[in-house]
Order: sequence, then structure tokens, then C-alpha cells
Amino acid sequence: MAVEVEHIWKTFQIPHEKRTTFFENLMGMMRPNNYETFSVLKDISFQVEAGECVGIIGDNGSGKSTLLKIIANILRASKGTVRVKGKMTPFLELGVGFNPDMTARENIGVYGTIMGLSRREIDERIDDVIDFAGLYKFEDTKLKNLSSGMQVRLAFSTAIQTDPDVLLVDEVLAVGDMEFQQKCFDVFNRYRKEGVTILLVSHDLGAVRRFCDRTLLLGGGEQRAFGETGEVLDKYVYCRSESKDSSDDSTKESGSPKRWGNQKVTITDVEFLDKFGIKGLRVNSMDPLTVRIHYYALEDVSDITFGIAIHTEDGRHIFGTNTKIKKTPLRVSVGGGYIDLNIDHIPMLSGKYLLSPAAQSLDYITTYDWIDKQFSFEVIPTSGDAGMIAISCNWIK
Amino acid sequence: MLTANHIHELYRYRDLILRLAWSDFKLRYKNSALGFFWSLLDPLLMLVVLYVVFTNLMRIQVEHYQLFLLLGIILWNFLDRGTSLSIYGIVGKPSLVQKVYFPRDILVISTCIMALMMTALEFVVFIIFMAVFRVLPGMTVAYFPIIFACQFLIILGLSLALAALNVYFRDVQFIWKVIVQIGFFATPIIYPITIFPENVREMVMINPMAQIITMMRDCILYRIGPDSLSLVYLAVSSVLVLFIGYLIFDRLEPKFAEAI
Repeated sequence: MAVEVEHIWKTFQIPHEKRTTFFENLMGMMRPNNYETFSVLKDISFQVEAGECVGIIGDNGSGKSTLLKIIANILRASKGTVRVKGKMTPFLELGVGFNPDMTARENIGVYGTIMGLSRREIDERIDDVIDFAGLYKFEDTKLKNLSSGMQVRLAFSTAIQTDPDVLLVDEVLAVGDMEFQQKCFDVFNRYRKEGVTILLVSHDLGAVRRFCDRTLLLGGGEQRAFGETGEVLDKYVYCRSESKDSSDDSTKESGSPKRWGNQKVTITDVEFLDKFGIKGLRVNSMDPLTVRIHYYALEDVSDITFGIAIHTEDGRHIFGTNTKIKKTPLRVSVGGGYIDLNIDHIPMLSGKYLLSPAAQSLDYITTYDWIDKQFSFEVIPTSGDAGMIAISCNWIK
Repeated sequence: MLTANHIHELYRYRDLILRLAWSDFKLRYKNSALGFFWSLLDPLLMLVVLYVVFTNLMRIQVEHYQLFLLLGIILWNFLDRGTSLSIYGIVGKPSLVQKVYFPRDILVISTCIMALMMTALEFVVFIIFMAVFRVLPGMTVAYFPIIFACQFLIILGLSLALAALNVYFRDVQFIWKVIVQIGFFATPIIYPITIFPENVREMVMINPMAQIITMMRDCILYRIGPDSLSLVYLAVSSVLVLFIGYLIFDRLEPKFAEAI
């Protein structure tokens, strides 16, 4: 076992009144200071085999980063033990200890030492680092005079010189442009091939799917699941949105309501159903999705068509259809009901999409109800493909 | 705690300790045109002022008073600088505490070593002064490393406690400034210990810094070796200060990353 985490609990005590000076403490001796106790991690246990890559996912505030910091020995657990075998290097932030007043070369020395390189290793590799970062013209320039992109490159190329047994990564991949991220992936692949154990905290589910053998899902500080990445991600994507959907009606976008129509037929709700038939707000790219439009009719109407439009977040209209276009004649009778639109697969790669449902007369002149862009769903990337839409394709040699 | 295990770990991190100390040291002088001369100017100006005041107005009669005074100032500066820089050793480097892990006392140790480097520079000036005033040290100068090492341990012990306390109580830095200020006059730096009557003398000499400065002068300037009792007292008290410093530091260390 490379990493063993046993029954970790972490509670923070948040005082109602923060006393940061000796004087305040002295003054406050008379009045008791009440504490709010807040559990960030509740009984987390898992084991990571040597050479394995494990992802840690969960919503913001679910305790991912805290867990990683406890494994890194930066924070101490309130209860429980962590055992790490071998040399551990945390990549919680790039360029820790960088000093703007030192030259690039000096900073490599300091940062490399912090990351656990010996003086000899630094002397040997410093030229490689400068080369890799593409900064050999600027090696004696003060760090503050380098662009932020150069600084990140410098930090990254120094950091990857370390040869750890266990690597802890927290969202490092989230910074930088596409090219930089690709470089990161290449390096992590190299580490994996060398048999380095990696723990990766990420919001980028696509990256987790590609890299991690197993994944730990945290929710509200609890261990929701730990197992094979595909299963855990499905659980996260689908179960999470279910719970969120039932707890609050967040399908409706806040902001100025945009709705019009004569209300002869009203659209009462829109639901998104995933491949398991469960309500949710998220869907994996290329998975099926059913849009269920609930309506209520004041009278029998046969001159009617239901339709939807899908927009990107920045308002680009990417798709629209209705029952008339699809040649599905229908009539509604007094009372409530619903109509489903089955989408075989969602071709978008990732992102958030806005949906506008509408009910109109067949000649589009009378609008019964139109709710403009008030519903949304999220598409979770499943592959490394870049761009907006998935195009089915194969390479042939 | 300062166990064999911990010392071994610190040894593994020796590169880091020295690298941090050295880069801080260089940074301190890089941004001013005259470099480290500025830092030498500080004790020298103080020397001039105090010398003029105390030889002309107070009429203190001490052999080699310039060197007597300069040595006292340099040694006191070492304590002052070491502790006041170390107070910020932890709170001044949040990213090194919150984003990576290494034994946190390294931050304090490296700051104290940087103070040591600065003091070493001042000693170069002191040696030049000795040459100018034609004072040759005798064999007793052999005690210098021992006494100096004790002083380093005391500074390190105080620094560890202060750096740790300052994480939780941010006014420690101001309180300490006042204490150092008082200490400057309560320690025989500008005056010889002999100005006190016998019974007060003993009380003043409880202060290990008073011991250090007196012994240093004796063995460097006056060719008098320290008596063994004082030397033992100094050794025991410096180890005790270091021990208590580590005790406080270790007690407070686990929550540094949260409280900083």
C-alpha cells in the first residue's frame, strides 16, 4: 500500500469572535468565547496501491482539498491516521516560495530545494529546466519582470524535476492554456508509467476519467463512493443532480423572468431524465437525455405544437425542434399532462446549455406559453476531444 | 521535540535550511545600491553616538571602550535581529506553511542562520577595528566558539517560541520589541558590570545575555578566560531556553496552517 487513510475526521472550530492578539485574549478572559464546530471530513478510509492513480472528486466544500492537505501532512487530522510510504511531493500550488526579487535561476534553486531536490540534482538539471521552460534568455532576469505565463512555465518545469513515490495534485491542471494542460497530461502520463502513485483532486471529470484507475467521491465531508472510476463518475454525475434537483428548484434560472403567451396551455415544469430515467441536471456527453415538458391545459386544444430551443450560455442558438417539424400531431385535453422529447445522444462535448420550452398554435401566430431560456442542464465531458460538439470518428492506418 | 529522529530529519533538510537562509540573506542586500554596507553602518553609527555620549558626558572609564562597546552592540544585535526576524518566520511565509510540508522549525532555523551570517559580517568589521586599535586577542579567544554557540541556541530557542506564539497572538511582535528595548539597557552593553554593587551584580548576571557579553569581552579583549561556573551556567541555561522554545513550538505547530 502506498497510501493508507484510516478513519480520518477533521473538525474545525470556528470561534464566534476571532481573537488574534494577546491583548484580545486577555480582554476576552471574562467572556467565554463560543465555538462553532464544523466537520469537514467524516470518517474517511481508503487505500491506494503503489503505482495507482486515484481521483478525488466532489462538489465545492466537500472536503477534497482538506483531505489532500491532511495526506500531505500540512493539516493534521482530528482523528484517524494516514500512512504514506516513500517520498511524497504535493503539487498544491505551483511556484511555492517564488520570490519576485530573485532571478529565474535563483528561484529554481529555492523552489527545487523546497520540492525536495538535492543541491547536486539541481545543479545537474537547472539548464534542462530553463530550456524546458524556454527561458534561457531570461535566466538572470528577476522573476517580477517575467510574464505570469513565464512564471508558471518556470514553476512547472522545476516541479516536474522531482521524482516522488507519491504525488498529490490539487487542480494544478486547471490553470494555463490548452497547450500547458496538454504538457501537464504528458508529464502525468510519464509519472504513471514510472510507477508513481498519484492522488488527483479535480473538477475536470474528463481528466479524472482519462487518468484515474479508481476514484473517491466525497460529498459533504462523507465518503460517498470509492471504486472503479467509471462507476463512481456515473454515480456523481447522476445521483448528485438528482438530490440537488429535489432539494431546490434550480432548473429555473434566476434573473428577469422571460415568459409570454396567453396561458391557454401553460408549461408547468421541465425535467431532464438521464439514461436511468432519473431526474437530473447533468448528463454525460454522448449519453441519451429525455426532456419532459409538463403542461396544464385550461381547455381542449388540438391546434397545438410543443417545441424546445437550446442555447449556449452566451446565447447562441444551437438547436430547435417542435412536434410539428417532427410530424407528431397531438391534441391536449383539459388538465395536466406531459410530453417527452427523447434525445438519442447529447452531441455537445461539455458546458452548460439553456433550454426554452414553448407551446404554440400550429401556425405559430398564437403563443400559448413560452418560457425563454429558463431551464438549463450541464454536459459533462467523457473524452479528451476538444471543441464544442462530438463527431463520431475513427483513425485508420 | 528535539529527538535524535528529528535532528536526523533536519539533517536531511540541510540543503533547504541553507538555501532559504542564503536567499534571504542575499535578498536583504540586493535592492540597495550600497549592499551590505548599509547593515554595517547601523552598528557603527550606534557605536559613534554611544561612544561620544558615554565617554564625554558620563565619563565611563573602561580600557578599549570603543571595542568594548562595539562587541556588546554586535552581540546584542545578533539577538535582536535573530528574534525579531524569526517572529515573522512563520506568519511571513504563508505559502510555505499552507502549500508544502517540511518540518516547520526549518523556517525559524534558517532565519536564525541568516541572522548569524549578518553578524559574521559585523565581526569582520570588528576584527578590522581590533587591528586599528592594535588589540591582539590571547589564547582565551578559544572560548569564543563555545560562548557564541550558546548564544545561538538561546536565540534559536527564543525565536521558536516567539514565531509560534506570533501565529496566534499577532501582538507578540510589538510586545517583544519593547522587551528587547528594555533588555538593551538591563544588559551590560554600554556600561561594565562593575558599575553595580556586588548584590545587584548577581541579579543582572542571571540574564544569560549579560553572561555572554561579559565573557566575550573578557576572553577577546582582556585575555581573561571565563570561570567554569559561569560557563556551566551559560551552557545549562542556553539548552534550557532551546528546550522550552521547542516545547512551545511543538505544542502550537500542528495548527499553523489553519491559524496563519
